Amino acid sequence: MAAPLTLLLLVAVTVRAALYRSSLADLISERVEVVSPLTAWKRVVEGLALLDLGVSPYSGDVFHETPLIIYLFHFLVDYAEITFMLADVITAVALYLSVKDYNKQVFRKQKYALEADRYPLDCLELIRSPKEMQYIPLKVAMFYLLNPFTILSCVAKSTCGLNNAVIALFVLSTIKGNVLLSAIFLSLATYQSIYPLTLCAAALLYLLQRQYIPVNLRRFSFWWFVAQYAFMYLGSLFVIVGLSFFLLGSWDFLPSVYGFILSVPDLTPNIGLFWYFFAEMFEHFRLFFLCVFQINVFFYTVPLSIKLKEHPVFLIFMQLAVISIFKSYPTVGDIALYMAFLPVWSHLHRFLRNIFLVSCVLLACSALFPVLWHLWIYAGSANSNFYYAITLLFNVAQILLVSDYFYAFLRREHHLSHGLYLKRKDGSEATLVLK
Amino acid sequence: MLAIFAVQLTLAVLVTSVFACIQYRPLLFFSSGHTNNWAVLVCTSRFWFNYRHVANTLSVYRSVKRLGIPDSHIVLMLADDMACNHRNPKPATVFSHKNMELNVYGDDVEVDYRGYEVTVENFLRVLTGRLPPSTPRSKRLLSDDRSNILIYLTGHGGNGFLKFQDSEEISNVELADAFEQMWQKRRYNELLFIIDTCQGASMYERFYSPNLMALASSQVGEDSLSHQPDLAIGVHLMDRYTFYLLEFLEDIHPSSKANMNDLFKVCPKSQCVSTPGHRTDLFLRDPGSALITDFFGSVRKVEITMETINLTEPIQQTYSYVDQLPVSEIIHQKPKQKDWHPPDGFILGLWTLILLVFFKTYGMKHLKHIF
Repeated sequence: MAAPLTLLLLVAVTVRAALYRSSLADLISERVEVVSPLTAWKRVVEGLALLDLGVSPYSGDVFHETPLIIYLFHFLVDYAEITFMLADVITAVALYLSVKDYNKQVFRKQKYALEADRYPLDCLELIRSPKEMQYIPLKVAMFYLLNPFTILSCVAKSTCGLNNAVIALFVLSTIKGNVLLSAIFLSLATYQSIYPLTLCAAALLYLLQRQYIPVNLRRFSFWWFVAQYAFMYLGSLFVIVGLSFFLLGSWDFLPSVYGFILSVPDLTPNIGLFWYFFAEMFEHFRLFFLCVFQINVFFYTVPLSIKLKEHPVFLIFMQLAVISIFKSYPTVGDIALYMAFLPVWSHLHRFLRNIFLVSCVLLACSALFPVLWHLWIYAGSANSNFYYAITLLFNVAQILLVSDYFYAFLRREHHLSHGLYLKRKDGSEATLVLK
Repeated sequence: MLAIFAVQLTLAVLVTSVFACIQYRPLLFFSSGHTNNWAVLVCTSRFWFNYRHVANTLSVYRSVKRLGIPDSHIVLMLADDMACNHRNPKPATVFSHKNMELNVYGDDVEVDYRGYEVTVENFLRVLTGRLPPSTPRSKRLLSDDRSNILIYLTGHGGNGFLKFQDSEEISNVELADAFEQMWQKRRYNELLFIIDTCQGASMYERFYSPNLMALASSQVGEDSLSHQPDLAIGVHLMDRYTFYLLEFLEDIHPSSKANMNDLFKVCPKSQCVSTPGHRTDLFLRDPGSALITDFFGSVRKVEITMETINLTEPIQQTYSYVDQLPVSEIIHQKPKQKDWHPPDGFILGLWTLILLVFFKTYGMKHLKHIF
């Protein structure tokens, strides 16, 4: 497996390097779908320049990155392209290793369940074999590296690549079972943008499962583990925030980074849902709708974790998708991360119902984004409603994709416990519907 | 003895009286209160059929220049070019009399703001002096608190506004506020405001700054009418009020003693059809004591003295340029900016933490590879 992976990495790096050298790099780094006010490379350069002039980079509305990024790029600003390519490579390798480990666990669980005769006889075709699962990690790495969204995001030098790398390392350390590293990477990811906080529940569920601690609210071992994890997570978060304070000697990174993410003052159009709503909203209702939209991101954590408590890795996938869709400044780089997981659930293809529609809509919308942007901003013959319509459609397609996979996963689980050909009590054929 | 004393006494009295006269002279010299004159002449309309507004402004320009105000002290704003307009049958001329008697365009006209540069914003910026640093001197009103300024506006107007370029307007409130800004910034000593538009009197209704005198060609509710059409050129050449104003000014010469009361009598209703108006309540002097040449000309009293005055000894020591300033300021060098570096404590703390995590994860057995 190492050789194809190396080949893949080489191909990916070549593609990115070629694009860096071409004239498209400037064009791509200005596209609003690829960079957001949080992740734009121009703003990082601006912030570093302000720092060289002796002014705090957080003065004014330019720079919204965390101080650790300042530290990182202070030394690496001349090697920025290599840094971002390296981040992509790290993400791909981390996903590769984690999916490999996860496949091993899936197969082992399946073996125990088969030996314990827990599957009904007619769902043997749903059982997965190692042969079909052999190329999945490579496919995951390929899906991430050769995804046009990732390539665009890397060529634009959007710091989304770094965020993705941290989240991928978190996934790797969680799946390997290392509690400390998982907490540290999660706190790093939360420190970068607040939303990975929701992955806490998924990580907890996975680690509990791995250490064979039953998820029972009345048991002491459960709470003890939760307390340990929370302590490590919060402790590392505080340490990182305190360290950031010492970098610049002031706390103004807190309102500039977290205040910016939560209160959404910048309404530049992007592929998310926030900008249009808040552009047309009255001041009186702004706080209310801000709370509604932000709660929407965190809201799905508890119901999803209750439903998917046996399957925490799928929960991680769902949470990543929810974050990418509902965060305040999404970019295509966030989408690329959860789409990289899709080959892991490729065995669900027989239960997916809307995949053709969803893929057509996603492709069409991705093509229409630059067209309608041009029509709106440059030609002046469209207006923001056109662009927002495409944004809305894109997000609806993503939501449909995610809910489709959710349905397919749950349906497969149901079939595995109740048999493939479902019958109602009177013997006629029944089918499953997600309500 | 007594005779010598008497002679000394008379000599003393004579000398003190002469000195007293000399001391009086500066007061006589500056009796009008101003030391320099400025003129801001604005035509706000464009298009060929508004030929008369450009001719109005150019006739006032001609009079003002003839009476002594130099081009450097005149800000001339013409919204359109009539002399070189394609429809002008006599190119490079702008006539004010029918039968083409008087070409007010002349050979040496200097237009400071032309065409689309004549906007409300530019006009107000010229008045208040708030121009960008790159504006040339010819486009600035560089008046001070001893300046008498003549402001002449012409164009199409209404009750309370004056139209600029057929697209925007200046209101009487704005104009009054601009004059107040000029007063606060000590940009004028006395200001004469003449406006030749329909309902022109509405434009000076809102003035509230001191030392302003205003004349208008018509009252509120009246239209200012144009004077004569010229059949060769095909448009009206002048407006009535400015035509008779020009006729009046042609008789003024630099040493004329005509005063403002004569100016108020220019163009009575019989000639102008509209009723000209004026406003002097804000003017601190008596209008009868204000000469026409106080505003329209740049007249200075010159007295030749036969006395000699000894200056004190010239300063022997001269400083060379280099000695007066530090060398770095001459060469305009800025000190080299120091790059920002992260504090050492931060770097230390961060890498210690990273190492701690590394060793916790992978065990202490790796330490022996380092040490």
